[in-house]
Amino acid sequence: MAASLQRLTSAGGNLLQRNLLKTFSSNRLTPGSRRLLSTQAAQQVALNVPETKVTTLENGLRVSSEDAGLTTCTVGLWIDAGSRYENARNNGTAHFLEHMAFKGTRKRSQLDLELEIENMGAHLNAYTSREQTVYYAKAFSKDLPRAVEILADIIQNSTLGEAEIERERGVILREMQEVETNLQEVVFDYLHATAYRDSALGRTILGPTENIKTINRGDLVEYITTHYKGPRIVLAAAGGVSHDELNDLAKYHFGKASWRSEIRVRDDKMPLAHIAIAVEAVGWSHPDTIPLMVANTLIGNWDRSFGGGVNLSSKLAQMACQGNLCHSFQSFNTCYTDTGLWGLYMVCEPGTIDEMMHYTQMEWMSLCTSVTEGEVARAKNLLKTNMLLHLDGSTPICEDIGRQMLCYSRRIPLHELEARIDAIDATTIKDVCTKYIYNKAPAIAAVGPIEQLPDYNQIRGGMYWMKP
Amino acid sequence: MATHMSRCRGWSRVQRYGIAAYRKYSSGSRYPNISLSAPLPGIPKPVFASVDGQETYETRITVLENGLKVASQNKFGQFCTVGILVNSGSRHEAKYPSGIAHFVEKLAFSSTAQYGSKDEILLTLEKHGGICDCQTSRDTTIYAVSAEVKGLDTVVSLLSDAVLQPRLLDEEIEMTRMAVRFELEDLNMRPDPEPLLTEMIHAAAYRGNTVGLPRFCPADTVDTIDKKVLHSYLSNYYCPERMVLAGVGIEHEQLVECARKYLLDAKPVWGASAGANVDLSVAQYTGGIVKMEKDMSDVSLGPTPIPELTHIMIGLESCSFLEDDFIPFAVLNMMMGGGGSFSAGGPGKGMFTRLYLNVLNRHHWMYNATAYHHSYEDSGLLCIHASADPRQVREMVEIITREFIQMAGSAGEMELERAKTQLKSMLMMNLESRPVIFEDVGRQVLSTGKRKLPHELCDLISNVTASDIKRVTTKMLRSKPAVAALGDLTELPSYEHIQAALSSKDGRLPRMYRLFR
Repeated sequence: MAASLQRLTSAGGNLLQRNLLKTFSSNRLTPGSRRLLSTQAAQQVALNVPETKVTTLENGLRVSSEDAGLTTCTVGLWIDAGSRYENARNNGTAHFLEHMAFKGTRKRSQLDLELEIENMGAHLNAYTSREQTVYYAKAFSKDLPRAVEILADIIQNSTLGEAEIERERGVILREMQEVETNLQEVVFDYLHATAYRDSALGRTILGPTENIKTINRGDLVEYITTHYKGPRIVLAAAGGVSHDELNDLAKYHFGKASWRSEIRVRDDKMPLAHIAIAVEAVGWSHPDTIPLMVANTLIGNWDRSFGGGVNLSSKLAQMACQGNLCHSFQSFNTCYTDTGLWGLYMVCEPGTIDEMMHYTQMEWMSLCTSVTEGEVARAKNLLKTNMLLHLDGSTPICEDIGRQMLCYSRRIPLHELEARIDAIDATTIKDVCTKYIYNKAPAIAAVGPIEQLPDYNQIRGGMYWMKP
Repeated sequence: MATHMSRCRGWSRVQRYGIAAYRKYSSGSRYPNISLSAPLPGIPKPVFASVDGQETYETRITVLENGLKVASQNKFGQFCTVGILVNSGSRHEAKYPSGIAHFVEKLAFSSTAQYGSKDEILLTLEKHGGICDCQTSRDTTIYAVSAEVKGLDTVVSLLSDAVLQPRLLDEEIEMTRMAVRFELEDLNMRPDPEPLLTEMIHAAAYRGNTVGLPRFCPADTVDTIDKKVLHSYLSNYYCPERMVLAGVGIEHEQLVECARKYLLDAKPVWGASAGANVDLSVAQYTGGIVKMEKDMSDVSLGPTPIPELTHIMIGLESCSFLEDDFIPFAVLNMMMGGGGSFSAGGPGKGMFTRLYLNVLNRHHWMYNATAYHHSYEDSGLLCIHASADPRQVREMVEIITREFIQMAGSAGEMELERAKTQLKSMLMMNLESRPVIFEDVGRQVLSTGKRKLPHELCDLISNVTASDIKRVTTKMLRSKPAVAALGDLTELPSYEHIQAALSSKDGRLPRMYRLFR
């Protein structure tokens, strides 16, 4: 009881490990379905998870939920609008708007809203990414109607007062400083800037300081009227929710609404170098996304405090561990609607950058040329486990529903996802990796003591092994 | 040398097969070229589960003949979390070099009698869609696996092996030493000082005993821990009476059957468990101060500077989680709340808690003020962490001591109701997740032999009154303070002055008259 009554802030004694434990567990289909798939297609398969129900309002807003019968729930609005829909002049508006969300509506002052949420033991969150804007609440299931009403109020009736806008400017500028202390975010912003150059995806979510200083009420209103439209909004919920009730609430509250490039920032005073290297991959719904995720799993993640041999399914982890090549690395596959970035983020001591980069590229090349069936089989298993274990608790499930509805206009049933992963073999991996990685010009972003980072041409040269 | 060799190997492999060679086979892929937005044709029609009837699930407990407790809670879904909890942690290391529990955590799920390596264990689990993890705290070590329910037999067999039959090979121990050293290094490099302060305040509050012993292996004992020391420790503490096999998402009978098969007659690799030399010391709250002078002027790992801060943590003795007063203390902790000055993280994260209203919203120079409650089977510690510029440490300490004194005043009806509701919602939200349920079931059964269900806890929380808060606070204020201080400590008031402030009426530090300023 002590454990579950701890305030969240104190629960993170050992964050990494605790996260690992938290990503445990979820619902998963029986392996029997795999047999079914291969022999008797179009049969039925029992999934021990609740159904994701979807309905659409007349104005195009989609309502989607999964009921697990819990006493708490997560409900939110997933909106197909993010920094990508901005131009150089108004870059930062989507994020500014997210900040204004909890600053009061025509019905509730900021204080009323805050008190109401705090007193009902609920949480209100919002975030903006390059392609999505999300507002969601966690609450007791009995408070679902109130949570939906509050969300509706926030996105339809925000006052966007001039005084609040001025105050929020300062807050965002301070947040900007905060973001700048998070090196991983800095490196990924640089990576986007270099990979997507002057296009919208290359800009940051927060926007440049000049914009934050000048964005006004008109910009915010224009952004809402242009982008917050029924067909681009999903009302998603998970935990303890009745879909019929949710749909009625939605009707009531929403029914009327309407490449050769790199960035280097050398700083020898920093103890560690933070480097991201990536190639252009594919968007969310492209079929090659899944093989690229398997390729991702083959490269894996590692952190030196894990201890030796924890991630033996990753050859790069073994090399990093034995050769003491880095403090940590993470393979990533960031997707957008029509493009994506596939690559590796690493944190190294200055003296090992060269070697770490060399082994990374060597592993990438071996994905394109010589990855074995055994390795691929193992990575497929791991990928399935990671994807399914992540779906634990109402918030991750609700986020999955909201994101999938925006990306795919449907929620992919687990057994279909599994069938798609099962269909991959070593040949698929070699083909797909060759298509996106082999002899492609990578984007590189690096911050810190990076004198030893090989020059671009040398890294570019590591993207192939031998001219055919 | 190794670099060159592998470089050559890489090249020769390509030369042998060549890029063109594999391309020939690429057309044979059976991977479907169908957008993820469209359903894959030929997929069987799913029959989904419904949620009816799951409220009837209860926690069931069976005690085996050897004293091992088996506890389970069924749950919706085809995944389970199963694990072994051992009443063993850093608090039991009095007669041993400190850091054994930390070592055990890092060594867990390495090679065992059945499995030649950690990799074999992971491979076995992967077949059942599973992963494993070990966590240790000051009083408990938890080995846990999440996997498909149908892999239960393998999972319990594997857990039994990992806990009772580890090989503890020399190279594994050497690897662990390295990982522990890396973790210590990271601990000192991290800009977030919370883990370090928690370690320090425990050392101050329970000087040299039980939960005051270091949770992280101290650098100077890293080399003294070897297989012999580990075996000696494990033979005393890893006996069935000190263990619980807990499972969530499985049938109780099935779990009991597996426990009988793999844990009833299992002989540990270190021989029959002696169990005689167990440290049964009760935590002795001493109070006191632990200081660490450290240059915090440049803790940022990047180009953007983090302002120089001095951190203090002040705590008083609360109570054990076995006492009834644990619940009022949990409510009090929620009522104090707090967090970083930058943002409460949106509505719902405690923006009307006292440390926000009285401290952070009034004193904008303060960087952080957060309440924590640590509770163990025999004692507990309620503390507040605060940080600010080194020149304002004295002022900051006084603000915190005054908050402690005000806890004994009467709690407002609104703030008390809010704290109670938030505690209940936090409890229920945490318990959405299967591993959290697992930990809750396991820890409760390990320490009390039974489990208070979530709704029973909610009732207890509902019953807390303002006079309960006043009563527990008054008792708490009679204890000697525990203080941890980290950073530039030039302006830190003396321990005696902090103690005087906490026994005064208004929480003010004694006036200091300085001749020269």
